[in-house]
Amino acid sequence: MIKPSLKFIFNYGILMLVIGVSGCGEKKTEKNITPKPPLKTESQTLELGEEVAPEPVVVTAKTRETYQWYCAQCHGIKGKGDGINAKFLTVPPRNHTKAEYLETRTDEQFFKAIKFGGLSVGRAPCMPAWGNTLKDSTIHELVRYIRELCQCEAL
Amino acid sequence: MKKFYHLLIIGWVLYSPKFSHASLIEEKNCSACHRLSKVEKEKKGPDLFYAGNKYQDTWLEEYLQNPVTLRKAGTINNPDFLKRELQNPQQHPILNKNDALNITQELMLMTLPGLPEEKINPLTKGQIAKTKYEFERTFSCISCHQSLNLAGKPRGGISGPSLVNAGNRLKESWVANWLKNPKIFSNKSRMPVYKMNNETRLRFTKFIMTLKKENLR
Repeated sequence: MIKPSLKFIFNYGILMLVIGVSGCGEKKTEKNITPKPPLKTESQTLELGEEVAPEPVVVTAKTRETYQWYCAQCHGIKGKGDGINAKFLTVPPRNHTKAEYLETRTDEQFFKAIKFGGLSVGRAPCMPAWGNTLKDSTIHELVRYIRELCQCEAL
Repeated sequence: MKKFYHLLIIGWVLYSPKFSHASLIEEKNCSACHRLSKVEKEKKGPDLFYAGNKYQDTWLEEYLQNPVTLRKAGTINNPDFLKRELQNPQQHPILNKNDALNITQELMLMTLPGLPEEKINPLTKGQIAKTKYEFERTFSCISCHQSLNLAGKPRGGISGPSLVNAGNRLKESWVANWLKNPKIFSNKSRMPVYKMNNETRLRFTKFIMTLKKENLR
C-alpha cells in the first residue's frame, strides 16, 4: 500500500512528465513556424527572410546583370575583387574567383553578407546591406553566381 | 503702321528666350547628354529635370564656368563605367559668365512639384562624430563616395559622386528626399536603398551638408 503523500508525489511526477513532453513538442513546432526576429543594427532594421534558398535557384542573364550593376563597383567586372572602388577601401573587396576562402563559407553566410552587409557575418563594414534593394530570390541567385565564379561549394 | 509696330513688339516678346521655349538649355543642346524629363531614356550626364531641387545656384554657376570632376570613374551610364578610373575624365563644356548665369537661372526653374521641405537643426559635435562613424561603418557610404577624413583629406570610393564639396553643391532638402525615396528621381541608381528612420535620415542629410571643400587641408 502506498502512503497518500507518496501517491501525491507519484501522480504529480507523472503530470509533470506529460507536461514536459508536450512542452518540448510544442517548442519544436513553435521553432518551425515562428519567424526569426528582425536583425537590428545600429540604425537600420531589416527583416530576416527565408534563409533556405527556394529550389531550384538558377543563375540567369538578369543575375549577371545585377552583379555587374551593383557588385562590380567593388568586386570588379570579373569578380576578382578589383572593382574601381577597390583600391580606396580599407579592406579589399572579396575576390569571388578564389575558392580557397569561399569554400570555407556557407551559402547562408553569403546570403547574410549580401542582405545585411559585411558586419553581419563578422566581415568588413565596407560591404553595405542590400536587403532593401534586392529581393531575397535575387540574393539567392547572386549566391549561386558567386559559387559559379569561384567554381566551389561550401566544404 | 502703328498696328505693325505692335505686332513686332509682341512677336519679339514671344520669341525672346525669356518667354519662349527657345531657351539657352536648348540652344546649348544640353539634352544631348542630360535628361530633361524622367520619361526620356537614360543619358550619360546627370539628370537635369530636377536640377532646381538638387543644385545650389552659386555652385552651379561656378561649375558651368570652371567644371570639376565629380565622378572619377565617369557617370554610371557611360559604357566604360567600372572598367577603369578615367585618366582624363570628359569635362563639361565651359560656358562664359553670362551664359552660366542665364542657364543656371533656367535650371533653377526645373523642379519636381510637391517635394517636402524639411527643417533640420544643426548637428552637435557628438552627432557629427556619430554620423561619420555610421557613414563609414553602418551604411558603408564611404565605399563608393569620397568624403573628408579626420585629417581633412579626401577618402573613399569613386563609383559614386564625390561628396567632398556636397555641402556647397547640393540642396539640403534634395539630400533628405533622395535618402528617403531615390526612385522619385531615378529608377536606375547603383546605390543601395536605405530605410533609415527619420532621425537618422535627417542627421545624415545635415552631415552631408557639412562636407565642404573649405574643410580640405
